[in-house]
Order: sequence, then C-alpha cells, then structure tokens
Amino acid sequence: MWSSGLDNHSNNKTNNIDNGNSGHGGGSRIISSSSSSRSSPSSTSSILLRTPRRRTMEEVWKDINLTSLHHERRFAPLPEPHHHHHHHHHRAMILQDFLSGPCFTVSRANAAVEDIPLPPPPPLLPPTALSLSSGRELQYLGGGGGGGGGSALMNGHSRSSSNSNGSRVHGQANNNDNNARSGPFMSPSFSDAVIGPSSPAGFFSFCSKKRVMPEGPGIGGDRRYKRMIKNRESAARSRARKQAYTNELELEVAHLLEENAKLKKQLEELRLAMDAQLPNRIALKRSSSAPF
Amino acid sequence: MSRDPLVVGRVVGDVLDPFIRSAFLRVIYNNREVTNGSELKPSAVVHQPRVEIPGRDMRTLYTLVMVDPDAPSPSNPTKREHLHWLVTDIPETTNSGFGNEIVGYESPRPTAGIHRFVFVLFRQEVRQTIDKPGWRQNFNTRDFAALYNLGPPVAAMYFNCQRENGCGGRRYHAVSGWT
Repeated sequence: MWSSGLDNHSNNKTNNIDNGNSGHGGGSRIISSSSSSRSSPSSTSSILLRTPRRRTMEEVWKDINLTSLHHERRFAPLPEPHHHHHHHHHRAMILQDFLSGPCFTVSRANAAVEDIPLPPPPPLLPPTALSLSSGRELQYLGGGGGGGGGSALMNGHSRSSSNSNGSRVHGQANNNDNNARSGPFMSPSFSDAVIGPSSPAGFFSFCSKKRVMPEGPGIGGDRRYKRMIKNRESAARSRARKQAYTNELELEVAHLLEENAKLKKQLEELRLAMDAQLPNRIALKRSSSAPF
Repeated sequence: MSRDPLVVGRVVGDVLDPFIRSAFLRVIYNNREVTNGSELKPSAVVHQPRVEIPGRDMRTLYTLVMVDPDAPSPSNPTKREHLHWLVTDIPETTNSGFGNEIVGYESPRPTAGIHRFVFVLFRQEVRQTIDKPGWRQNFNTRDFAALYNLGPPVAAMYFNCQRENGCGGRRYHAVSGWT
C-alpha cells in the first residue's frame, strides 16, 4: 500500500522536476501535486498549503524526502514526527531513507568500506576520496542498513520507484553540480533503482553486484539476506580450509627439503669417514672362537 | 598473522587456545599418514587410526582426544564438539593401541557441510583416571583439559571430511526448503 503511494509521489515529483524546480519552491509545488493524489492525509495538508507559512510535519517530511533527492541540506535533521502514525509504513521507510540520506551519510560516506555485511563504524577518509568510497558505501548500507528488514524496506522502495528511474535522473541534471558530492549517496537511500548522474554506470553495476536484491519487503528479503550471510561464511571457511592446507604443504616441503639436505650431508660425511678407515678393515684376522 | 594451519583453519579458536607444540603426533589411517588439513573420505576413516607419538621417554604419558567441532554442520555447529575418541595413558614412543580407551572410536559420518576432525594431544603429569563423559555431543576440550589438569595441548592436527558422495552443501528438505 505504501508503495503505491510512493509511486504517485514520485511520479508527481518527476513531473515537477522536469519543470526545472529546485529547493523549497519546487518542494512546495511538488507537495501540492503529490498530496492531491493522496487519500486521507491529503486533505489536511492541502488545506494548510494555502497558507504556506504553516507547515505540518507531513510537509516537512515530504520536503526532506524531496530535498534529499535534490541534495538540499538546509534542513536540520527533523525530530521524529509524532504525526507519523498517519502512514506508519510510509514514514518508517522514509525515515530509514532519510537516515541513509545525505545528512547522515556524511560521516559514513567518508568511510573506507572493506567488509561486508556488518562492519563496525569504519574509519574516516579524506573528502577527496568520497566519490570512490561512496560506491562502496552502497554495499555497506545495503548490508548493514538495519539488517535484513531495513534492506528489505529500502529495496522494496526501489521496486516501486523503478518506474520513475529515468525521469528522476533527468530531474537531477540541473542540480548536478550540487549533487556531485552527494549524488552517489542517494543511491543507497533509493537503492539500486536510482542512478545518480555523477556515479558512472560501471560503478553502479559493481555496487549492485554486492547488494542484496530481495523479491520484496518482508521475509523474502530477510531470508535471502541470511542466505547471503551464510554463503559468505561458507566461502570464508572454504578459503581458510584451502589456505590452511597450502600452508601445511609448504611447511612440510620446507621441512622435508631441510631433512633431505641434512641427510645428504650426513651421507657424505659417512662416506668420507668410511674411505678413510677402509684400509684398516681389509685385512682379515684370524680369531679363535672355540669354547676351549 | 599466523600461517600455522591450525590457526588458519580456525582449529585454534574454535577448539583450542593458542599453544606451543612440544610433542609430535602422527595419525595413520590405512598405513597412510594424514597430512594436516587434508581431506579424507568417510570410507577411509571408518576404522580407528594408529596414532603414533614419537619420542624418547616411555614414562611420559599422553591423552588423546578426537573431536568434531562442526557438528551437525559447520554453519550451524550447535553440537560442537562431538567427541569421537578418547584414549589416555599412551606412553611416549608407542601408539594409541597401548593406551586406555575411555571412549571408543566412532567413525566420522558427516551429513551436512565439510567437517573438521581434530586430534588433540595432552601430556599427562601422572597416570590418572579419567571418567567417561555421559555423552559425546557438546563436549568441550578446553573444559575437559581444565577439569583434569592436563594443561595446554602439546600437539594437534586435523583433517576435513564430508559426505561420501559429496554434496555436503545445500540440499532440499521437504519441510524447511533449501538449507
């Protein structure tokens, strides 16, 4: 249900994006069009839009959602809306996206991500490395974004917004310069479907390979995620097994070579000793062995 | 980063604490000595091996433990460790046949995954009586050594083993699907 709402949301948004809107101005216009497509909460929000100065939490949340798309950072992170009970699923998903959006990903984005799926808070990288690390951050967020449930939610969102993929890309074009730094970051929040213009396609394909691709939200994605984890562990065990065996063989080879060298040396020494002593032994001696 | 096969293969970690090897251990199945970390088929390890302890002093006694830390499966080792064999009072320079078999040899029969089978050797200070554990599963080598004051292990080795016909991996269960 929330996915359909999102579809409307995104579709309307893209229409307005094409008109060259940006920032707050576009935000409010987009809100008006998207809220009109909604059912219950739209009435309250449409009324309030007539007086644009009074903004409800819903509008603010929409703004965040949109401006996070447009990479406007003017919003301070908003308090958790207590109005969120209106559309709980929608809010929870958006909050998740928001949390993985630019405001929050800044600290993470600087990280060099080496491990998947659930690494501890990664070390910081200089900002110049952002464009490179952001792709890997995709993996980090995909793996660690609230575990299976979170990734399922995020990826479920991606399914619904996949339709608007193309137009959204266009829409971001005019904000491209602003987006340059944070463009790739948006990909995690909207999952694989959205390709920021500043992230190359090759990048994207590299990232998506490592991402979880569940069928949809809920247990399907969770099971797949667990399966992926298990598979990774199994692969790690397999590598360890192989490496252990190889190490053992190397040790044995080294040991055997050493023993061989030692034995050869010993043989040589004995031969020399024998040659030196040999003349003495040639003479046969008669000795008495009789009992009397 | 240690290159010791026991560490890389996670035997040190899952079963044992890091130790310094001070004895030698040779495990021989069917007249073939087992290389540490190699893979054997269940059919090759049906009967108990001859475990030789080379050395000098026949007065030194050893305890041998054989466990499977990957029971029932490596990805889900809920029954870690499964005790396969327990022999005490083995004199140095001899082999396991000269010791006191507390728990008889059980043939490895792994059903799921690739299991490690670990042989651990402890040096005994005295000839001691060791009680037979009530059951084979969920044996803990560390606790066992602590209980009988065996100290740290003096030698260890392991081999891998999977189902005879392969496919220790995912198999389809009617109830639980692919696991």
